Amino acid sequence: MKALRSGISVYTLALPLLLVVVLALAIPDFLAPQNLANISGQIAALLIVSLGQLVVALVAGIDLSVGSVISLASCLVATQNDPLSGVLLALGLGLVVGLVNGAGVALAGIHPLIMTLSTMTFLQGLAFVILQIPGGRIPPGLRELVNGSFWGLPQPLLWCAACAAVIALLLHRTRLGLHLFAVGANPHSAQLNGVRSVAVVMAAYVVCSLLAVVAGIYLAARVAAGDPTMGAAFSLESVTAVALGGVQLTGGVGSIVGVLTGALSLGLITNGINLFGVSPFLRGAVTGALLLVAVALQRRRSVGL
Amino acid sequence: MITDLSNSLPIAPVRPSRARRALRWLLGLPPAYLGTALLLLLAALTRPQLLSAFLLPLIARQAAPLGLAVIGQSLVMRARSIDLSSGGIIVAVSYILTSGYFPVTDAAAMGLCLLLGLAIGVLNGVMIVKARASSVIVTLAVAMILMGTVIALSQFRAPGDAPEFLSAMARQRVLGLPLPVLLWLAMLVPVALLLRHTVFGRYLDAVGANTTAAALSGIPHLRVIFICHVASALVSVLCGFVLVGFVGKGSIALGQDLALNSLAAAILGGVNFGNGRGGMLGPAVAAFMLTFLFNFLTSLGLGEPGRLMLQGALIAVAALAYSLNRQRSH
Repeated sequence: MKALRSGISVYTLALPLLLVVVLALAIPDFLAPQNLANISGQIAALLIVSLGQLVVALVAGIDLSVGSVISLASCLVATQNDPLSGVLLALGLGLVVGLVNGAGVALAGIHPLIMTLSTMTFLQGLAFVILQIPGGRIPPGLRELVNGSFWGLPQPLLWCAACAAVIALLLHRTRLGLHLFAVGANPHSAQLNGVRSVAVVMAAYVVCSLLAVVAGIYLAARVAAGDPTMGAAFSLESVTAVALGGVQLTGGVGSIVGVLTGALSLGLITNGINLFGVSPFLRGAVTGALLLVAVALQRRRSVGL
Repeated sequence: MITDLSNSLPIAPVRPSRARRALRWLLGLPPAYLGTALLLLLAALTRPQLLSAFLLPLIARQAAPLGLAVIGQSLVMRARSIDLSSGGIIVAVSYILTSGYFPVTDAAAMGLCLLLGLAIGVLNGVMIVKARASSVIVTLAVAMILMGTVIALSQFRAPGDAPEFLSAMARQRVLGLPLPVLLWLAMLVPVALLLRHTVFGRYLDAVGANTTAAALSGIPHLRVIFICHVASALVSVLCGFVLVGFVGKGSIALGQDLALNSLAAAILGGVNFGNGRGGMLGPAVAAFMLTFLFNFLTSLGLGEPGRLMLQGALIAVAALAYSLNRQRSH
């Protein structure tokens, strides 16, 4: 039962391991501490967003608005003078976006693809209102949270670990976590058993948007600027990472380990392509091909979405 | 839908007033109809030049690619699937036609594009039907592969001009209507008739309504889904032809928003996953509505930010009105 619910298979675990082995054998510099720090810096944002995407996927949803939320959060943080007010404003925004998405999906019954597509479009517009071109200023205090190292570990790793720990606690040690799996597996049965599925779905979207805000703040601090198009690629990237990790978009099946392997695989592909000196544009093609192979190997029972 | 329950209820229910019933009937229609009417009214009051005999056909022409794309999208959506690969196919078509990489005649290049579309459609279909992979993931991955390959290839060769035939077609008018609009209608009408009057159409409705029940009744449900995906990919190739003709040059930015916009148009046109209530007309009207909306917002002098915000809000409002009304009537 546990294995069915996690969605982890031999293939989801083997892919990142295989990539590590191949890269370590082919490229001597791969295991250098500097490169490992690079990789963790590159995948941190993706991992954080993908954790949110996981929570939404567990209740059979999908959130396309995370990309715009990232962009908007980076713009907000970069335009506020006081770092604290910027961060609070961005988190407040995440809360509102999550509530709107969740209400649209759970209360009004709008399909998640359409609901989050419309918030994605709206928020992208709002990001352009706040900052037309990349710019703004990130307070130095915030930048230090991202670029330094802590106890010899690169800071991005700590961001990843903190977010993963919070979501792990949420999924496996709280009532909400159990309800998320229940609603995703069968909303009707969950409802009949007294789970308030509307509230659960709304909570899932709020968690997802909040994590996207965290990723946005992280990215803004890392590049020391806000950028209204910074997150655009993350919506589909995060869905890709989640799918590579064996999470089923039909709900109820997924795990944090799966998301870790998915995000790590995507990060390793990028890193490998950089180190091999292959055209970076082929990255999309390689990722797509791997994704096809990965989903072909995990045959489901249902057909379609 | 308002169902008459008076026979099954002991007490005759209070019938809503005529005005209320009319309002409910209006709200029960796909949001595209009411939306288009409101939008045209608004335009007539504030920007009458948009409705001129000169601009309106141009807007319809601009709507043709989206209109074509939504035909394919609503086919797969009615079979409870989704096709996000149109952006990738269009870019590949643009590359084949304009890069000069394939030293063949224009007609042969267009044939090559159709073959590619067929191959992609078959790949999508096999992955979804045989490997039972999620259609979101499969079509997304296919789009990524096509896009990545084309971008990597086009580093070595700048895109050239579109085939003269396609550029001419984009400018051509027959009986006052631009040719792309006629092409759109020429695709739309047969597909609509086909779905209404053939066994395949009934099969599609059955598969959408309940895939398991359809399979148990001996309907070749997998073949139905497969055919829809192949058709959708081929329609995307046609979109590519029209878009390349419009722009007159190859571009890797061509048709990138089409996959998601066609999804929005299908839903605003009353087609949802497994449900074809809006028929083929609803999504077509929705495609026109969205294109008209983009033009209207631009004519109001809104910059990109305002346009995006209004567009997002309006799609949400339309989907909300439709969805709430359907919930109440259940």
